[in-house]
Amino acid sequence: MTRFLVKRLFSATLTLFAVSVLTFLMFFALPRDPVTGMCPKNCNPERLERVRDELGLNDPLVTQYAGYMKGIVTGRDLGSVQGGRCDAPCLGWSYVTNEAVSDTIARVLPVTLSIVIPAAVLWLLLGVGLGMISALRRGTWLDRLAIGFSLTGASLQLYFVGAVLLLVFVYNLRILPVPSYTSIFDNPLKWASGLVLAWFSLAFLFSAIYARLSRAQMLETLSEDFVRTARAKGLAKPKVYGRHALRAAITPVVTIAGLDVGGALGGTVITETTFGIQGLGRTAVDAVRAGDLPTIMATVLIAAVFVVLANVLVDLLYAAIDPRVRLH
Amino acid sequence: MRPRVAAAAGGAIALVVALGACSKNTGEGTTVDTNRTQTGVIATDPKDSQGPAAEVAGASKGGTFTIIRETPISHLDPQRTYSFAGLMASPLFARYLTTWKDDGKGGLVLVGDLAETPGNDVNKDCKVWEFKIKDGVKFEDGSPITSKEIAYGIARSFDPDLTGGPTYIQEWLADTPQFDTKWDFKKNKGSLPPGLTTPDDKTLRFEFAKPRCDLPFAVSLPTTAPLPPAKDTGVNLDNKPFSSGPYKIADNQVGVKLTLDRNPNWDAKTDPVRHQYPDQFVWSFGPTPDAASNRVIADNGADQSALAFNTVPASLVAKVAGDAALKSRTILSPTPSANQLVINNQRVKDLKIRQALNYAIDREGLIKAMGGPTVAAPLTTLMPPSTIGFKAYDAYPAGANGNVDKAKELLAGQTPELVLGVSDGATEQLQGTQLKANLERAGFKITLRNIPDDAKLDEIKKKDNPWDLYIGNWAADWPSGASILPVLYDGRTIKPEGNSNQSYFNDPAVNTEMDRILALSPAEQGPEWAKLDERMMKEYAPVVPLFVDVAYNVHGSKAGGVFISSVFGYPAFVNAYVKQ
Amino acid sequence: MSLSPVEGVALAEIESGGGAETPESRDVVGRSPGRLAWIRLRRDRTAMVSGAMLLLFLLLALAAPLVELLYGIGPKEQFQSLLDGFGMPLGYAGGVSGEHWFGLEPGLGRDIFIRLIYGLRTSLFIAFAAAVITATIGVVLGTLAGYLGGWLDAVINWITDLTLAMPFLVIALALTPTLVLRFYGEREAVSPAFGVAVLIGVFAVFGWTSTARLVRGQVIALREREFVEAARASGAGLGHMLFRQLLPNIWAPILVSFSLAVPQFITSEAALSFIGVGLSDETPSFGRMIYRSLDYLQTDPAYVFFPGIAIFALVFAFNLFGDALRDALDPKSSR
Repeated sequence: MTRFLVKRLFSATLTLFAVSVLTFLMFFALPRDPVTGMCPKNCNPERLERVRDELGLNDPLVTQYAGYMKGIVTGRDLGSVQGGRCDAPCLGWSYVTNEAVSDTIARVLPVTLSIVIPAAVLWLLLGVGLGMISALRRGTWLDRLAIGFSLTGASLQLYFVGAVLLLVFVYNLRILPVPSYTSIFDNPLKWASGLVLAWFSLAFLFSAIYARLSRAQMLETLSEDFVRTARAKGLAKPKVYGRHALRAAITPVVTIAGLDVGGALGGTVITETTFGIQGLGRTAVDAVRAGDLPTIMATVLIAAVFVVLANVLVDLLYAAIDPRVRLH
Repeated sequence: MRPRVAAAAGGAIALVVALGACSKNTGEGTTVDTNRTQTGVIATDPKDSQGPAAEVAGASKGGTFTIIRETPISHLDPQRTYSFAGLMASPLFARYLTTWKDDGKGGLVLVGDLAETPGNDVNKDCKVWEFKIKDGVKFEDGSPITSKEIAYGIARSFDPDLTGGPTYIQEWLADTPQFDTKWDFKKNKGSLPPGLTTPDDKTLRFEFAKPRCDLPFAVSLPTTAPLPPAKDTGVNLDNKPFSSGPYKIADNQVGVKLTLDRNPNWDAKTDPVRHQYPDQFVWSFGPTPDAASNRVIADNGADQSALAFNTVPASLVAKVAGDAALKSRTILSPTPSANQLVINNQRVKDLKIRQALNYAIDREGLIKAMGGPTVAAPLTTLMPPSTIGFKAYDAYPAGANGNVDKAKELLAGQTPELVLGVSDGATEQLQGTQLKANLERAGFKITLRNIPDDAKLDEIKKKDNPWDLYIGNWAADWPSGASILPVLYDGRTIKPEGNSNQSYFNDPAVNTEMDRILALSPAEQGPEWAKLDERMMKEYAPVVPLFVDVAYNVHGSKAGGVFISSVFGYPAFVNAYVKQ
Repeated sequence: MSLSPVEGVALAEIESGGGAETPESRDVVGRSPGRLAWIRLRRDRTAMVSGAMLLLFLLLALAAPLVELLYGIGPKEQFQSLLDGFGMPLGYAGGVSGEHWFGLEPGLGRDIFIRLIYGLRTSLFIAFAAAVITATIGVVLGTLAGYLGGWLDAVINWITDLTLAMPFLVIALALTPTLVLRFYGEREAVSPAFGVAVLIGVFAVFGWTSTARLVRGQVIALREREFVEAARASGAGLGHMLFRQLLPNIWAPILVSFSLAVPQFITSEAALSFIGVGLSDETPSFGRMIYRSLDYLQTDPAYVFFPGIAIFALVFAFNLFGDALRDALDPKSSR
């Protein structure tokens, strides 16, 4: 177990390192020169060159990369143009939004968490619930309805569903407020009402797939010997289905859920854009458009951390749920 | 079993999508009147520069005025402010040496803001200018504003850390575009840039090597906002500027929300243009232009006293313009932002081809593609109608849809192959597609070359860019020909990159004429620029003027007092109020 | 920000459905497993209906120039005279008429029907090409990793993890315009083919991971089975082992994963258009059409309706067919 963990963590660190290097290289291939964005009219090239120098954009790539990494570990001095001393873990200074990137992240990360976590709970409940019902009521109208729902969801796009929901519930019926983010600690009700559309559109699209998956799993498990044995032993139906069958059927669902949530936490670009909420994903996209290297690095790295962590967690969970799996 | 499910699902979607009513569009009622006349003067009567500003009819105190915009304001630090959103937000919390008294209908008077008059040309040669500072002007902490703090504000605009702002004053004082090496702000913090002096607390004096007759205009930009040296937080000032205007920054969640509260130390009696009606201004960032317009149209809750800062998108124009109830909640006005089909004169040297392009252009079709008269208004001159001294003319009269025959006649059977560089953003893609079909009618062969949206501006500003045509835009910093024609068409300013002269037009006769006009007093310049404008189009046809942007904004039922700035073409908030 | 949530799930479904049990093991009547699956598929009405729909879409896409000839209108023709002053189509339902079956685009006034036909062609081509390439990469890497194991397995696994950890949308956004600017003649029009190729390339780089994981799992399960060991013991070479022994036994899940990957690439193209990456306006595609039309939900619903229903029908048909295919190939989970 410990050996497994050490191995996984080592490989995860290596992955993050590679992600950071690749992102860094990618940035320097971007068509946008971040510095020209700083003077909209009447720019003179010599002045720009000095700004570039001061920002360190003229240093060799290796030096710049090392400087960035050093900042994360020990903090560094960024100079007056970038807000001076930046303590560890220093994610740099955004010369586009003029603030420390760690401030940006502290602001947008809770937004994405607030979108993804409730949505994930919703889609799991909805998806697995539908899947169970349709498996236990196989062949009935309920089953058909659930499958139809799931295939429809899987065939729709979020921006499409989102636009229609916004039009109906916000602009025409005016049942819901305009989507926005309020901290849950400030006003839980406003937090929920501002994000509920995002949760439901995400849940509709995702749950569809979980419904199909858990239905298939459940059907397979129900035909397995141990379920039949349990039933033959005289155990009550709910107990068999609830404890034994569900437990076996849920394993792959957990795997996929872990990876999905991990991916989504890195930013839900389309959801955030559709509903006009500034989360991690949209921040990353804006940063790429503006050529804002420190923000690109930070958002990409955080997204990667979530994915990698989710991978490790899923492996651990897998072992916890399914005793047949041994970690080595 | 599943086909039935499929049909049901498909049906449900069809129903949702077809929500809109199915009525016949007969195309009636789609004319928009955007006429207005521009008059611009510099105040000669010191009374014009005195406060308080005249009360706005129907205005009342109180409430929160919300402004919704997709992207955040790029800089709040006045010395770094240059974007339109910044220029429109800045007067709420910053005062300048001079400012525009704007009736929102094109009537402009340049008046003293912190200064008692819009400047005194001491020797009548535009080389020495003096400004007397008003009594009773204060910062948000109650300390008095003197010429020292204004001078410090100008001095810090020399700091290379603080990029982004206009550079006119700096370049004129240093007499070189390399102003930040000529005078190093960081090494000379206690002193002032060359040519800038404060003989006493009430006087600010500029001395230039060359005549700078446009100085009264240039000091209406936020570069001249005052700042006490002790309150200078360097790059951090961008998130919390120190206020001299009627509002001060209460809270700034960067990129999300900017909240401004009343500044009790602002005295209406000293201010000729600003008011202090709402308790609070809130800038809210994030929603797309579509979402913002939809919100404001819905007119719900706090959005009742909100304004969508982005103009109504073309896709929603039909809904807004077609709804009589919404009419009172929209503001519509042409702006000074002029768009041209820029011809790269280094590549397209044949005057006949440039003239043929001017005959061929179908402005009506292009404007229709963009969403019609609420998005753009046709333009046949180099300077927009909002320029002081403007005179309307059409050097190549060809009607709204262009004159294909006339163009073919000029081309005399040849088929010029031209490459039109367009950004890959949605709007320019649309324009490019339309222009290609538009010009090919007249016998041109147009190749569209996509340029990444983020890189397009940088690329066409390079002298040796490889394209023959591109869409260019210029919005002047003040409505004088001096901030348009010399900037865009003085061939002597052409450098390897970063050019404003994107047509790379260079003609010695025109250059000399520009020098002559620039040395005239601002009042005399207007008609002369208009004459030069017409001469250039007739003799050289350096570009194809296309259209001016039209501002079309929607606001909530309780928002009042907003007008489109006659200087910048964006909603101005100095008169804004919330109906109680 | 993975390519699509659907992908991972599809993989799990296939894995759990197919499991280690090869179709071969149930082959008692003497029919080949492929034949059996075909018979089951023929009996499934859903599969037949969705299959027929797909065939129709495919034919329309292939015959686009022919359709244009019969219809008499090209995808680039502009009918601005049929628009009002705001650029909205005159007449009923977005300008639907005998001439223009699905009406006209607001603004430029191009014919929606013929653009949909050409858009179908573009979208299907991108999706199929991307699916073929990703399946190939996935099968090759998955088989190698699964069969050879050891350090190769570790390396391939790590590359898979790395690919998953790179945010797809951000990288597509960063790289696509760069490629156009730096690697294309400055005065040449960027040909539609180049834009299409870049998109396929981006999908190829990010889309192979699920197939690789799926195949690896299947191969590991097969590796220890008697017939494989027998073949290995009799001295079969690597090529023989991979192509004669292993692959024939795992084609079923690969096929299912392929059929589910195609609609994902169709929707991914649309998602990329949404954040402003992808094809230029000159190339009609489903993604760009739907992205542009969405803004007109209130002012010209017909403009949203036709592309919207078309992309939904296409993706839905693919999903139905993929579902049916899985059932047919894996009798255990069928109804």
